[in-house]
Amino acid sequence: MRKELSETSASAKQQQSSREKFIASANKGKILANKCTKCGHLVLETVFFCEKCAANKFEPVELGGTGTVVTYTIQAVAPEGFEDAGSYAWVVFKVDNSQLRVSGFLGGIKKPADLPIGSKVKVNGFSPKYGLLIEKLAK
Amino acid sequence: MTNKVCVVGAGSTKYGKLNESIIEIALSAAVDAINSAGITPKDIQAGYISNVFGVADRQVHMAPVIMSNLGIPNVPGLTIESACGSGSVMFREAYANVAAGFYDCVLALGVEKVTHTGTARSTTLFSYCSDFFYEGGNGASFPGLFASMARAYMTSHKASEEDLANVAVKNHENGLLNPKAHVRKKITVDDVLKSPVVADPLKLLDCCPFSDGASAVILCSEDFAKKSGRPYVEIIGSGRGASPAAVQGREDITTIPSTVAAAKQAYKMAGITPKDIDFAEVHDCFTIAEIIDIEDLGFFPKGKAARAVREGATRLTGDIPVNPSGGLKSKGHPIGATGVGQVVEVFDQFTGRADGREVKGAEIALTHNFGATGASAAVHIFKKVDRK
Repeated sequence: MRKELSETSASAKQQQSSREKFIASANKGKILANKCTKCGHLVLETVFFCEKCAANKFEPVELGGTGTVVTYTIQAVAPEGFEDAGSYAWVVFKVDNSQLRVSGFLGGIKKPADLPIGSKVKVNGFSPKYGLLIEKLAK
Repeated sequence: MTNKVCVVGAGSTKYGKLNESIIEIALSAAVDAINSAGITPKDIQAGYISNVFGVADRQVHMAPVIMSNLGIPNVPGLTIESACGSGSVMFREAYANVAAGFYDCVLALGVEKVTHTGTARSTTLFSYCSDFFYEGGNGASFPGLFASMARAYMTSHKASEEDLANVAVKNHENGLLNPKAHVRKKITVDDVLKSPVVADPLKLLDCCPFSDGASAVILCSEDFAKKSGRPYVEIIGSGRGASPAAVQGREDITTIPSTVAAAKQAYKMAGITPKDIDFAEVHDCFTIAEIIDIEDLGFFPKGKAARAVREGATRLTGDIPVNPSGGLKSKGHPIGATGVGQVVEVFDQFTGRADGREVKGAEIALTHNFGATGASAAVHIFKKVDRK
């Protein structure tokens, strides 16, 4: 699987940092995780030692980028860099088929009724401006 | 086998928008603490400083500058950063060094100066305390992170925005009695609910202010305290805890695991339970934080804090007064200083310096302070020492 990923990457010869790899997967609508080769526990790509057994050998696993909303906030007062983003939510979502949770930027949310807890969402890229982009899926 | 550690002096500036430089603010608190302890700087064997954004006033590596300006340039110091938990995390390190017998008498001082950078810049700086790649970088401000915790809490435990507002109202009530508090203004639940939304569901009056300020204490061995002939307070418990750095990493977003762990350690060391605490200074950076804190510290069962606050249990005259100083909400939150400020409040309460807001008959008090959304926390427990 590691070989496949590096073959499809445009800069196959360059060493990508862990964040760069995470971002590359997000741009394909996926969440990149690390699966511990010793105990099978999943951690996010940015984690370097297994939380369960402390081993540091992983095989990369690209999880599908769909998930469900765990909690969120609608940022009425946007932080610097997000002033032109319109009304949006910062969302914590659980990634389907794993115990992992990630956070992302979900544009277009104006009020709590727009985003009930448990709503289905999907990763759809990584913006240098707004970070991990997610969108709401119709039921 | 560790030595008993005591607090023999304390001092604090007003918290608010201060014009002086960060070093002058720090020195002001240090001088008050040194005078209160009846010592001279020559008695200080080490300086422990807590600060997060000294860079905003062009001063990092703060300890040597402070020690030099106290006339003790050859006394070693260090500066500790743990976001909003810097004060208590530093205090724990200072405590540990005296308990281990490395030093008999040390200065523990926290300071912050950020208001001069303006709200937008301060907000951006503070967002760097989050797990930035997952949080600040994806558009979450600090109020936003706590707002997401509020939403999780309100969903699981059926608390309302009015329940959160009660915390702000109570802390403002107490702050009115504290001449050094940043925001001394009576507010009502209605005022809170009508204040502008910052990050849904949190509104402006659910949030503590940006503050400048410094607080300092003198920590010493019990021998030193007794020989000084001055009023002192004993530290009977100390605990540290940690949680996953990002909100997303916590299985249950309605609790802060680092508080639970730190409190458990501190209670065990002191040989007491939450019921023995007469009052507590807890970390109320946002109203939801105090609700979560008083459950995590064991004062109320999970899900019951909102009702307890509504019924007045945590008011100055209640069963377990919480934040008699006014808390971060009203007293203010200079993030490097807050954890130390809480100890100053305990010292003042136990040595007759908290006129008008004294918790009557209090013998044992707890301080609780955490960094960011609770990734780091420290809890300390103090006992009043009666002067014979």
